[in-house]
Amino acid sequence: MDRKMNIRNMPSQDHLLCGQGACAGCGVAIAVRNIMRILGENTTVYVPASCLLIFGGGMYPHSAFDVPFLYSAFENTGAVISGIKAGYRRQGKDVTVIGIAGDGGTFDIGLQALAGAAERNEDVIYVCVDNEAYMNTGTQRSGSTPFGAWTTTTPVGKKIKGKRGFKKDLMSVVTSQDIAYAATLSIAHMNDFVQKVEKAKNLKGFRFLHVMTPCASGWKSDPSATFDLANMAVETGMWSLYEVVDGEVSITYRPKEMRPVTEYLKLQGRFKHMSKEDVDTLQSWICKKWNKRYCPTAPPLEGKEDDLAYGGDGCEGV
Amino acid sequence: MNMYEIRFHGRGGQGAVMAAQTIAEAAILEGKQAQAFPFFGAERRGAPVMAFARIDDKRICDRTQVSEPDMLVVMDESLLEIEPVAAGLKKGGCAVVNSALAPSEIDLGVVARCVSVDATSIALEMLKAPIVNTSILGAMARADDFVKLESIQQAIMNRFGEKLGEKAGRLNSSAAKAAFDRSREGTCKGERKIQRKNAWLPTWQETPPGVALPRTTKAGMAVGPGSMSQNLTGSWGVSNPIYDDSKCIKCQRCWFICPEGCIRRSDDGALRFDIRYCKGCGLCAKVCPKDAIAMKRKGASA
Repeated sequence: MDRKMNIRNMPSQDHLLCGQGACAGCGVAIAVRNIMRILGENTTVYVPASCLLIFGGGMYPHSAFDVPFLYSAFENTGAVISGIKAGYRRQGKDVTVIGIAGDGGTFDIGLQALAGAAERNEDVIYVCVDNEAYMNTGTQRSGSTPFGAWTTTTPVGKKIKGKRGFKKDLMSVVTSQDIAYAATLSIAHMNDFVQKVEKAKNLKGFRFLHVMTPCASGWKSDPSATFDLANMAVETGMWSLYEVVDGEVSITYRPKEMRPVTEYLKLQGRFKHMSKEDVDTLQSWICKKWNKRYCPTAPPLEGKEDDLAYGGDGCEGV
Repeated sequence: MNMYEIRFHGRGGQGAVMAAQTIAEAAILEGKQAQAFPFFGAERRGAPVMAFARIDDKRICDRTQVSEPDMLVVMDESLLEIEPVAAGLKKGGCAVVNSALAPSEIDLGVVARCVSVDATSIALEMLKAPIVNTSILGAMARADDFVKLESIQQAIMNRFGEKLGEKAGRLNSSAAKAAFDRSREGTCKGERKIQRKNAWLPTWQETPPGVALPRTTKAGMAVGPGSMSQNLTGSWGVSNPIYDDSKCIKCQRCWFICPEGCIRRSDDGALRFDIRYCKGCGLCAKVCPKDAIAMKRKGASA
């Protein structure tokens, strides 16, 4: 059997070129750059209104993608990529069609088109780059914004400090339909990341990739903290890495022990107002999720340790 | 006084908008009328941005962008190379430039009264971050007497104190004072040619069907897929990576994590850094397990 793809043997050719206009330390740029390296040049990209549209593709007449790039309205990513694929099918061409939307364009605005495409099991890849607010327009809350976070529409006042609701569990919404593949990815778990993207590339049917992409500007963190944030999100349970193949959920990385959520919060300015009670509320929400996700009665990862993001490969955990 | 117009040229994240608002507030504290607003565009942290302010004794009805400023504020010296910053500067107008050079060594493109201040050093020293807006405000008080330093300091206390706490307000206000004391006055050079930026947008007759554009060249610039690579984004950051390949174990983590793709690799895993595009985020140094990459501030001696 061939060795699994990892960051050392993955393709080197870039399809999101240098010169794109993202902020320094942009998580979206890291995710999209590496997804495009793996998908290769036989790909068509669709991006709705989002940061990626502005910095990567849609500053007409310029584009940072060297593959065909399209954009249309905010809410119809699922519908447009279905249409692009249908067009290629009619022409008899086998092209990978990928739609890359932000969390606003997926959790809130694009949900119905996404659900439609998933229900029809269209042969496309849908990527949600999740930076937990509408960052392109200056940090407004979205369905993805976590509890307690500051945004311009959930400001920190005297009575109410930050967002009151919890983050929507989008993966449950998407995987409630019988789609080919769904996975959560983190840019800090690099081999896990490339393996999931490669798996998605080689499958047929609707494939959904949910990437956590820290945002230095909106999270009020240091640009060089992007990696630490992505890593700490997994270690604290704010983010978990798993995949769903034909309805079967499998954990791809299990943290050794749960770190307190404050280690994740303290790296960011958007949480610095949080009171003890709010941190406790968030922590107990995470604990509930953690127990459900990493259920102690779940079957252990026997013989699958090599698949773990930090296991097996020589270049990790040096 | 007549209407006094100010144009700020900065980079996203340096606080150009905040500086414009603060100078307007300082004028209001002195009983004048003022307005401040940013250039509306798709700006990202590090990208060239503009902000405007107007100050007058009478009510201001003009809401347009400032094209002929009395004062020009250049918050990042590298903008002189890529933006037509000095365009439209009024006769007798002055410029404030963030630079370690003396005014006579700065080539603005027009001969004008000029104040230079090393605001980046002051900001790094006092605020521990390269956010230069408050230092620049101090230098602006030095360049012209349309507002007093005291009002600027008070406006900084009001604005920053409210947003970031009183301590941050005091720190920023003392950064303004330090910049006022350390700025140098003189006259700048006008040798540089001010060129309007190249731009191509199709008229309706030229618009291709479905606005689809192939990779091609229009008006001397690349357009279509991949054409953004003509933006050399390397001027955005304040530091660059220094790579020591003797320590490198070729784990490729930096290659994966670089958001700009400025790290190129060959088939044997050897890495090459293309700092023409590096925005200085420091992620490559962060993920390196062997400390083979260090971030160094640009222009600093070894």
